[in-house]
Amino acid sequence: MRPLDENETTVVFEKLFKFVGNNLKKIVENPSNEGPETEPGRYCFRLQKNRVYYVSESLVKRATNISRKNLVSLGTCIGKYTHAGSFHLTIMSLNILAANAKHKVWLKPTSEMSFLYGNHVLKGGLGRITDSIVPGDGVVVFSMSDVPLGFGIAAKSTQDCRKLDPNGIVVLHQADIGEYLRDEDEL
Amino acid sequence: MGKSSRKQKVIPPPLLPPDVPEEDIEFSDEDLKFVQENTDYARFVSRIDTTAINKQCGGRVKSVEEKYEEERSKKKTHQEENESNEILVDPVDVLPVKTLDGKLHFRTVTKKSKLAEADTDEAEQDILEDENILNKSQRRAKAKKSKKEAKKQEKEWPEEIALEEETPQAAVLAEVKEELSAEEMFENSKNKLAELGMELLSDPEANIKSLKEMLEICKDEDTKIVKLGLLSLLAVFKDIIPGYRIRLPTEKELEMKVSKEVKKTRFYESTLLKAYKAYLQKLIILEKLPVYNQVATRCICTLLEAVPHFNYRDNLLISIVRNISSPDEVVRRLCCSTIGSLFSNEGKHGGELTVQAVRLIADHVKAHNCQLHPNSIEVFMSIRFDEDIGRRDKEDANKKKYKKNNKRNNQEEQNQVQENERKKSKREMMSKIRDEVTADHMGVTYEPDAIERRKMQTETLSAVFETYFRILRNTMYSIGESSEEANTTSNPGAFGSHPLLAPCLDGLAKFTQQLDLDYMGDLMNYLKKLASSSSVSNNTKQKNSKLLTVSERLRCCLVAFRVMRSNLNALNVDLQDFFVQLYNLILEYRPGRDSGIVLAESLKIMLCDDRHQDMQKAAAFVKRLATFALCFGCAESMSALVTVKNLLQKNVKCRNLLENDAGGGSVSGSIAKYQPYATDPNLSGALATVLWELKILTKHYHPAISTMATTLSNMNTSQSQTFLSAVTPQQAFADFSLEKESFEPKNESRKLNNKRKRGSSSEEAQNVLEIDMGRLNKKLKENFTILRDIKEDERERMEKKKPLKKLNNVVKKKLKNPKSKKKF
Repeated sequence: MRPLDENETTVVFEKLFKFVGNNLKKIVENPSNEGPETEPGRYCFRLQKNRVYYVSESLVKRATNISRKNLVSLGTCIGKYTHAGSFHLTIMSLNILAANAKHKVWLKPTSEMSFLYGNHVLKGGLGRITDSIVPGDGVVVFSMSDVPLGFGIAAKSTQDCRKLDPNGIVVLHQADIGEYLRDEDEL
Repeated sequence: MGKSSRKQKVIPPPLLPPDVPEEDIEFSDEDLKFVQENTDYARFVSRIDTTAINKQCGGRVKSVEEKYEEERSKKKTHQEENESNEILVDPVDVLPVKTLDGKLHFRTVTKKSKLAEADTDEAEQDILEDENILNKSQRRAKAKKSKKEAKKQEKEWPEEIALEEETPQAAVLAEVKEELSAEEMFENSKNKLAELGMELLSDPEANIKSLKEMLEICKDEDTKIVKLGLLSLLAVFKDIIPGYRIRLPTEKELEMKVSKEVKKTRFYESTLLKAYKAYLQKLIILEKLPVYNQVATRCICTLLEAVPHFNYRDNLLISIVRNISSPDEVVRRLCCSTIGSLFSNEGKHGGELTVQAVRLIADHVKAHNCQLHPNSIEVFMSIRFDEDIGRRDKEDANKKKYKKNNKRNNQEEQNQVQENERKKSKREMMSKIRDEVTADHMGVTYEPDAIERRKMQTETLSAVFETYFRILRNTMYSIGESSEEANTTSNPGAFGSHPLLAPCLDGLAKFTQQLDLDYMGDLMNYLKKLASSSSVSNNTKQKNSKLLTVSERLRCCLVAFRVMRSNLNALNVDLQDFFVQLYNLILEYRPGRDSGIVLAESLKIMLCDDRHQDMQKAAAFVKRLATFALCFGCAESMSALVTVKNLLQKNVKCRNLLENDAGGGSVSGSIAKYQPYATDPNLSGALATVLWELKILTKHYHPAISTMATTLSNMNTSQSQTFLSAVTPQQAFADFSLEKESFEPKNESRKLNNKRKRGSSSEEAQNVLEIDMGRLNKKLKENFTILRDIKEDERERMEKKKPLKKLNNVVKKKLKNPKSKKKF
């Protein structure tokens, strides 16, 4: 377990910034109330075995007791470095993203399942969409009852969505909560 | 004289005796005799208290009488003067004219007019009058005309006549002469105008030339005359202008031989057109002079409204648009209403003028850098855009094509069966002729076809939106400037800082359906920037008139929602940024300064109308609105509470706010503590708090609000989901803002009623009250006396105590040393 170096930090933050925009500050400065300390601590990012974790400081202190080899996981895993060296956000980061999301998409109940099986979000399945989405933005996908389902990358701007045919792709799938079942072993 | 005056007094004052010269009144001999014999009867006349009668008759009648007297005296002097000035024409030649008010009008010829022949203005009249003398038949015609003129004069300018009659009596003859000549000139030219106008109206084709004369009169130096001339010309033109546009014949056509009638018509039309042109030129020149501004504008407006199809309408339109934001209220109103009527009855001019007017206004706005009166943009609201233009025709065309195809098929079949060449050629001929005829018809008919109209409409629309976008951009830049160079005092102009923004926003909201989707993004961006404009200024904390007010920003949000709503083709867009704006604007709202109606409307449209809301956002709004309801008047709090109710009904999870369990449980999300000052509703963590405001609101002084708060707080426990809140925040606001004034007295009266009801249950209600009062008094008195007694008692006691103390002391002393006792 070690803190991220500068390169890694920029990569991670850029990735998060796509989804949460200026709310990134909120994520970093979020006070933690974990542990016996009366003073609320902070959260920080730690790298452990190619995975990036979002952990409270008090937990980090305690985790130092465990050797690096034996430490399986701590805090919330938000992403991992692939073998090629690029950083991917994983579905476990959904909670953080959903709370601070800038761009959202709500799915109709009929198309929820399709998304949860790993498909892209189509125009036909779109229940609602926030305005001012630009292609390439990170978008968090919700069900109509505001349950976060996953996230992805916007393929079309909000304006273009209007003219899109129902089968056009609006959001490219990146992660969804179906992965907890499908890829249980990998997570 | 005495008799006549007596007569006058006997007659009830409002009925004036006819204006007959005294000499004409004839008394029968019997009458005279009777009066002479019975002088005693007539004596009362001398004793009549005229002043008392006048008093009794009241001021108005008195004035009539006075006027009557004045007239008489005036007429006398007038006659005298006339005798010196004029030669009375022999009544055999010209019969006297009796006007409607009973004056006998003898035809006269002025000496002066003959003398003043050099005067160019008078030349015409003189000639006419000279002719009058020369030609007997003409003179008769003239007399007839003068009769007509007198009638018309009375119809048109009765006030003028009244003014006329008060000719100031002057001592010096020369002055009188001058004045008289001016008067007469005025009178003459007025009469002339009326006369010519009547002639023209009765037979425009024959008398078309007199238009020129009327125009000549308009060149007079006297403003009154000019105004009258302009107005009478207006009346004439309004009536005689034909229902088509005049096209002057070309050279070729002129060369061709034509029948007499055609020639006549051509002459008529060309004269009319020339005169009209001259008149318009005159109007446009005069319109720039402040004296004539109103009259000329009135003429122009009426003309354009009456004959929008006629030649030179462009010039009229240009001058109207120029005046559309004139500082003069009357002129502006006129112009705006004219343009509005142009827009609303397009049938008269086929829509071409609409395009032109809109384009001109757009240019005008551009030229004045958006510093105009709001009225000038408000006229756009009366434009109507018909979406179905052409669609129906297209359908028809499609059907026809289909039919034709069918026919052709049939034909082919037929042809296959029997090839009749002749028939075919005949049919072709027929169709050709039919096409020609329809083409001709199209050329002749005034109505432009659907394609044309559609084209024009597109043009209009683009001009309108160009104007709107210009205004938005201008406003934005001005805001940008003001935030950059914070304190530079750029003059906000005569109409306030953003005069056109409000009508522009209204227009945008109305016409969004016509807006192309491609512009939508830009429009939204503009609106977003405008709505969030003053968050920048809050940092600098400088009051700048250039910044938008809260209501204006609210309106921006509203328009954005309207735009989205009206273009809702199956895509539900969540306007998060505008929600953020609204969330912050609620805090900035001040009841006196900002319009509560706009706030209520935005609550309705932004929060209540949306089918689905974010849970966090809804909770944040619920909390903030509840807090808001605590701070302001009943109207505001009622509208806020209605919104809260609406939100709670739709978002079942938000009812956690009603539970007495701070922290919100699992739904509260990552934010564990409510942050009341958060700018983003999603990050306020409102679900972690409790709606304690409702508890306080249940004790609100207004019964309706307290009951509302109670129902809200009971929402969670009562399982039935069917709360029927038919009331919208707007309605609530309207109801309670009306009630605001009448609320206090109503409440009191209700209390009184209650008392009375209670009282009326026992039969002798008032007696009881009185008795009560008596009892009360008695009791009070008793209390008072008791109190006084107690006080007096105390005082007495105090007084008694003092000697007692002394006594005690003395006693003690006595006890201590018994010797003193002996002394004592």
